[in-house]
Amino acid sequence: MPVLVKDQQIVADPWQLLESIPDYVPDNAIVPINQLSNTNANGAWVEGDLEVDDFGEELAKLDLVAVHFPMFADGRGLSLGSLLRSRYGFEGELRAIGEVQPDLTPFMHRCGFDAFVLENELAAKTAIQCMASMSDFYQGSVIQPEPAYRRKHSH
Amino acid sequence: MYQYDDFDRNFLKERVAQFRDQTDRFLAGEIPDDVFQQLRLRNGLYIQRLAPMLRIAVPYGTLNAEQLRKLASISRDYDKGYGHLSTRQNMQLNWPELAEVPDILAELADVNMHAIQTSGSCVRNVTTDQFAGVAADEQIDARPYAEMLRQWSTYHPEFEWLPRKFKIALNGAASDRAAIAVHDIGIQLQVDENGRTTFDVYVGGGLGRTPAIGALIRENLPEKHLLTYVEAILRVYNRYGRRDNKYKARIKILVKAMTPEVFGEKVDAEWDLIKDNPQELTRDEIDRIVACFEPPDYPAVADATSALASKRLEDPAFSRWVQQNVAEHKQPNYAIVTLSTKATGIPPGDVTDVQMDAVADWSETFGFGEIRISHEQNFVLPDVPQHQLFELFELARAEGLASANQGLLTDVICCPGGDYCSLANAKSIPVAEEILQRFDDYDYLHDLGPLDLNISGCMNACGHHHVGHIGILGVDKRGDEFYQISLGGNATNDASLGKIIGPSFSRNEVVGVIERLLDVYVDYRAEGETFLSCYRRVGMDPFKERVYLEQPESQSYARAG
Repeated sequence: MPVLVKDQQIVADPWQLLESIPDYVPDNAIVPINQLSNTNANGAWVEGDLEVDDFGEELAKLDLVAVHFPMFADGRGLSLGSLLRSRYGFEGELRAIGEVQPDLTPFMHRCGFDAFVLENELAAKTAIQCMASMSDFYQGSVIQPEPAYRRKHSH
Repeated sequence: MYQYDDFDRNFLKERVAQFRDQTDRFLAGEIPDDVFQQLRLRNGLYIQRLAPMLRIAVPYGTLNAEQLRKLASISRDYDKGYGHLSTRQNMQLNWPELAEVPDILAELADVNMHAIQTSGSCVRNVTTDQFAGVAADEQIDARPYAEMLRQWSTYHPEFEWLPRKFKIALNGAASDRAAIAVHDIGIQLQVDENGRTTFDVYVGGGLGRTPAIGALIRENLPEKHLLTYVEAILRVYNRYGRRDNKYKARIKILVKAMTPEVFGEKVDAEWDLIKDNPQELTRDEIDRIVACFEPPDYPAVADATSALASKRLEDPAFSRWVQQNVAEHKQPNYAIVTLSTKATGIPPGDVTDVQMDAVADWSETFGFGEIRISHEQNFVLPDVPQHQLFELFELARAEGLASANQGLLTDVICCPGGDYCSLANAKSIPVAEEILQRFDDYDYLHDLGPLDLNISGCMNACGHHHVGHIGILGVDKRGDEFYQISLGGNATNDASLGKIIGPSFSRNEVVGVIERLLDVYVDYRAEGETFLSCYRRVGMDPFKERVYLEQPESQSYARAG
């Protein structure tokens, strides 16, 4: 059973991911982006290769954006997540769905993802450990824009 | 050299622990094979035909004596007592045990070394001129900028899972010894009229199945923008590079599909939005890294010109070696020495633990404890006082590292090929071996002059066959090993890709074919003309005629056609 990790903790998932649109769309629905205009949903899911320049402003207004990773090692969703955060100012929940392997979550996390749907509880616990396995990095990221040298050599 | 501080050391320690944990979880069955494959590749670990292969990073080919001694001891303790110098200036071990790899990485970390990003679809070891910092024809030392790129690209949050591998090379000298034209990004450094360092950026070069020469997309980029501009290129590539077919996934395919002009515009549009972000290099940071590569205080040594000249008259073997393997140094009375690994009977690039220890010792006796690895798979000692050249020569000769063939026909670039590599269609080392055996007459080799002969065992082109003046590519024809030969490739300034001469040859024909190609050159060359310029002038026809038509009884044409 899929397990949600949010802000490094296993939590119950208050959202409901919809593959298509039923007659009644609940408040907590995550709908496919192409259905967004037909509903009042505050959550949308997108593929990693979405042309963010066309949808970024629209997505930035939502409470939740879920990015689908179609396969392990497909890094397009990392660029998408980074741009949603840094270029379009998205402040809601950025959720990784699809092929989310624990060892990929540290990369996703640094690209601004704060929620991850893992395959099961073991994977969820491993992901939390993975995200804590490295304490600092050379280059800046969405969650720490300053590269290490600007922090360590500035004082 | 770059000096590791607590940050760098801690980063490495954590990365080693992370990989140990990944290996443990894999061995416990918690990580599927295909996922672990990607994780281990990002630590340089392949599973090969006979055993795992571990590729250890040697950033831009520079290491110190302590590090080389560590490589010697690791190859002794965990392997069969030898390593292989790769065309990305790295060192590969052919026989490590998977379960011991975390221990090897921990030992490497003790001397500030690692195997991070030496494979996998990420930014690979950044390479540069093996003579950087000491070459007489250098305008600016590229190593500090290679180091800035190394740090920036290490464990990058966004660019560790690219469509395909990504190779960056820099060159700061008049002569391009880093092959920047055949890299995903090639950077030529220069100093402008105001004394500022700037970069010309080429993109979309590469070898492999679809070889291409890089296109210039940005001229005179100021140095502070190095990382943001590369970030813009990587982002465009990460978002739009093909992922549906691994043979079409390199950036060169994207650049070609978009055209370099449109690709450049796309990069510029992205760069406009990010160029002032905190990745922009500060003056302090540039100065800090550049300071790590300041030249050492060269003790004044006496002019050895006349002593050297008389020694050369006395000893023709020494004289040939000086002529071929000793390059001009920036500093008067010092020299740059290439220690060739290309000796008869040894696979090109293979070095034993004993040789590694010896080279480490010489780097201290005849320099400041620094060693380089060239992409031609040789060792280089960058700071040898001229008056000690003969002493070094004798020691190197005793260790089999004094072949006087740098840049000559027998300085073969060669991949591990079918003897080791699971991708290869054909063996490459035995072909190199036959060539080294057949052409062992130095006077003949020297008469032929500069000649790059490169051999790859398959179209992945690890042996850079496309840019050999003569290129040899192993191909599989109904289960038999055949070899396709190309002419006219060139990896340096005025780079070009070789053209295939015609139908391929069986292995026992290859050396004879090379011999006939060389005969054509000797017959046709004008005074002082190199093989490459002669080929460029006379074209393919005379070579083709001699190789195919003079041998009507040869079956190669019919068989392979």
